Amino acid sequence: MSAAEADLARPARRPGLLRWALREPVAAFSALAAVLLILAAVLAPALAPTDPFDNDLSLAMAAPGTEGLLLGADNQGRDMITRLLFGLRATLMMGFASVLLGGGIGAVVGFAAAFYSRLDGLLMRCMDVLLSFPAILFGLAIAAIFGPGILAVVLSLSVATVPLMARIVRGSALVAMRQDYMVAARAIGMSDARIIFRHLAPNCLSSMCVFGTLRFGQVILLGSALSFLGLGAQPPVAELGAMASEGRTYLFFAPHIAVIPCVMIFVVVLVFNLLGDALRDALDPKLRV
Amino acid sequence: MQLSKTRRRTARGLLGGAALMFAGMLPALDAAAQVAPRNTLVLLREIDADRYDPARTSATAAGEAIFLLSDTLVSMDWDQRTIRPGLAESWTVSEDGTTYTFKLRQGVTFCDGKPFTAKDVVYTINRWIDPATRSPVRWRAGSVKEVRAVDDHTVEYELNEPFSELLYQLAQYFASIVDEATVEKLGTNFGVQGFNGTGPYCWASWTPRQEMVLTKHPTYNWGPPIYNNPSPQVDRIVMRVIPEANTRLAAVQSGQGDITQWIPYFALDGLRRIPTLKLTQQPVHFYDHFMGFRVDKPVASDPAIRRAVNLAVNKDAIAKAVFFGAGEAATAYINPNALDYSAEAAKAVPQFNADEARKVLDAAGWTMGPDGVRVKEGQRATLLLYGLQTAINSSMMQAVQADLRRVGIELRIQLWDATVGWGKLATQEFDTFIISYPYVSATDAFSLYFHSANRPTPNRMNWNDPETDAALVAARQALDPEARAEVIGKLQQRIAENNVWLPLMRQPLWVVSSQRVEGVRPHGIYGVALYKGLDIRLTR
Repeated sequence: MSAAEADLARPARRPGLLRWALREPVAAFSALAAVLLILAAVLAPALAPTDPFDNDLSLAMAAPGTEGLLLGADNQGRDMITRLLFGLRATLMMGFASVLLGGGIGAVVGFAAAFYSRLDGLLMRCMDVLLSFPAILFGLAIAAIFGPGILAVVLSLSVATVPLMARIVRGSALVAMRQDYMVAARAIGMSDARIIFRHLAPNCLSSMCVFGTLRFGQVILLGSALSFLGLGAQPPVAELGAMASEGRTYLFFAPHIAVIPCVMIFVVVLVFNLLGDALRDALDPKLRV
Repeated sequence: MQLSKTRRRTARGLLGGAALMFAGMLPALDAAAQVAPRNTLVLLREIDADRYDPARTSATAAGEAIFLLSDTLVSMDWDQRTIRPGLAESWTVSEDGTTYTFKLRQGVTFCDGKPFTAKDVVYTINRWIDPATRSPVRWRAGSVKEVRAVDDHTVEYELNEPFSELLYQLAQYFASIVDEATVEKLGTNFGVQGFNGTGPYCWASWTPRQEMVLTKHPTYNWGPPIYNNPSPQVDRIVMRVIPEANTRLAAVQSGQGDITQWIPYFALDGLRRIPTLKLTQQPVHFYDHFMGFRVDKPVASDPAIRRAVNLAVNKDAIAKAVFFGAGEAATAYINPNALDYSAEAAKAVPQFNADEARKVLDAAGWTMGPDGVRVKEGQRATLLLYGLQTAINSSMMQAVQADLRRVGIELRIQLWDATVGWGKLATQEFDTFIISYPYVSATDAFSLYFHSANRPTPNRMNWNDPETDAALVAARQALDPEARAEVIGKLQQRIAENNVWLPLMRQPLWVVSSQRVEGVRPHGIYGVALYKGLDIRLTR
């Protein structure tokens, strides 16, 4: 997008942050919550009251509110607040890594398919094949090869994200390809790489951002499911899905161990879904009423 | 103390709530009675076995049914050390300890009505030790020279060398007598599609991973003398598999099941408070958890590391928090109640002392690294642990992991699902492993795990010591029980001094049963609570 075009695209009057927040309360709330969640995850080592691995078996399963533990302790006598912060950290990192890696590869495939029509059929059929496998199956296969761990989860979620991102990118790239500026860029003899990076990619960025944010929520849910099955984070690493899995055994006796991480997963997924919706509303003018 | 009270109160409240919830799910108590019909005992289990052929499995789950379906020549008393008559009324042992002569009981029949004779014993033992049968526990039969039927009711069991624990092994379910005609007819499907034994119950049907139905053997009256009744008191037994612990407990509470030994420890305290349920314990139970060190791997080969691990782990805290007070810290390699336990050797097992652990590591040159893990000559003090993925293994090993971390040893835990776990435990990939196992006696336990011929499984430590092998042979061949106790006692000392294991926990055996079940007394042979179950009867 050139500077002139950007000027045209800019709304006539830029509303203040507060006014925007009042007009779009859901978007504002989700953006704020996402920032807070990310901050909590990044600052976990500073915020956490205790060491995440330090246990005190005499406090095992302490109920929330006892012994000065606001959220209680887990079955190993570890502070739930600390575990939750570090669990959030691991879960968010897992989500970001999978979306960036899978989304990045998917975007490259999508651009290649849209730009080089000879590759289109081959690449997209490959993506169709990938799409036909459930992510859990990838998780099982990759965990069997590399051994269970966060890496296995990130890899399987990335693989599962690639075809989705490739399809989205190809779709919006094909639309952009028909625009006059693309013809113009070719006419002045720009190289393929330059056209893709200067003209194609920026025009697809909004749909990539929207999809990435929505996918982030899904990836966290899937990753937690994989961890719940024991394929993800290995003890003593705190990860929300793994924490829920471990606490499930004691559901009748100490429900907080499983319920608290589940609530956290719910909040994270909800926030990023709302944020994705809000982003789509903001970035996709066609949807504006 | 204050906390534990609060916690217990909370737990009680929650359990009460859960119990109410289940009660609410059922319209009335009659409904429960409908679920479990009259004179049918519904036994709940955690897992199913792959097959029920005594010669071709070693699973505790298989024993649960095989002890009911068939009989052994001799039986085991509640004390787990006195041998009582079974299919054999009496027996004599030759002077040199190599020939056992069994006098068989008369009037015994198989489920199909065929009379039981000495030929069946000969066939069963020969099939068990035949390499073609591929029994995982063939060694338990001893080094058999020949098993002969002298007449219809006399069997001579001749060994190449004395085997002082033969009778203990013949009491295990592996030596259960099977019917030749049925085995030949079903081939490898024996114990899958059908069974024919002399036990108190007969095979009716089996739906793998769901349920097994057994019906009363009508003429059975030759039960072991440890029971008050020589015959079964219940018409049918339905053995139902419910893998998930909470669901299984809910089934017992709601009356959908009558009895189970598969109780998660955290539930014991709560179950005790439910008036409609009965809990019974077998105090003499040998089923231990241990962590073994692979003694030929870089870090685990260092005796200082193995000693420090033994010193660093607070087993009493694990007994309280992970086993909820139901388990017992294993202070020695063998249970004090087991045959040939050596109290002297138990003193050589290091007991919890974290400071001492740090001193041992310091003295051996393991210096603390920047990340809290000790280093020696560029080698990090890190151990990779393999085990089966169970709730107990996971929480127990995380507690061990935290204890080791405090002294500067890193434990990387990798637990596997049972379907791949046994395969993983047979590899050379890990430095340490966790396993739990049932045993009969010190010689039994040590022969299984420490003989060099049993590498790489079950001797996963790769412990290769000629002195150990010699002691095991001497113990097995000892003619005099005292001589055996001495040689196996010395071996316990040697293994303890080398810290080949970290003995962890002794698993308790509890059985929970519903109000209508009477006469429950857990036995625990090879981990099986019900054993013959002859005194069990239903009041409704």
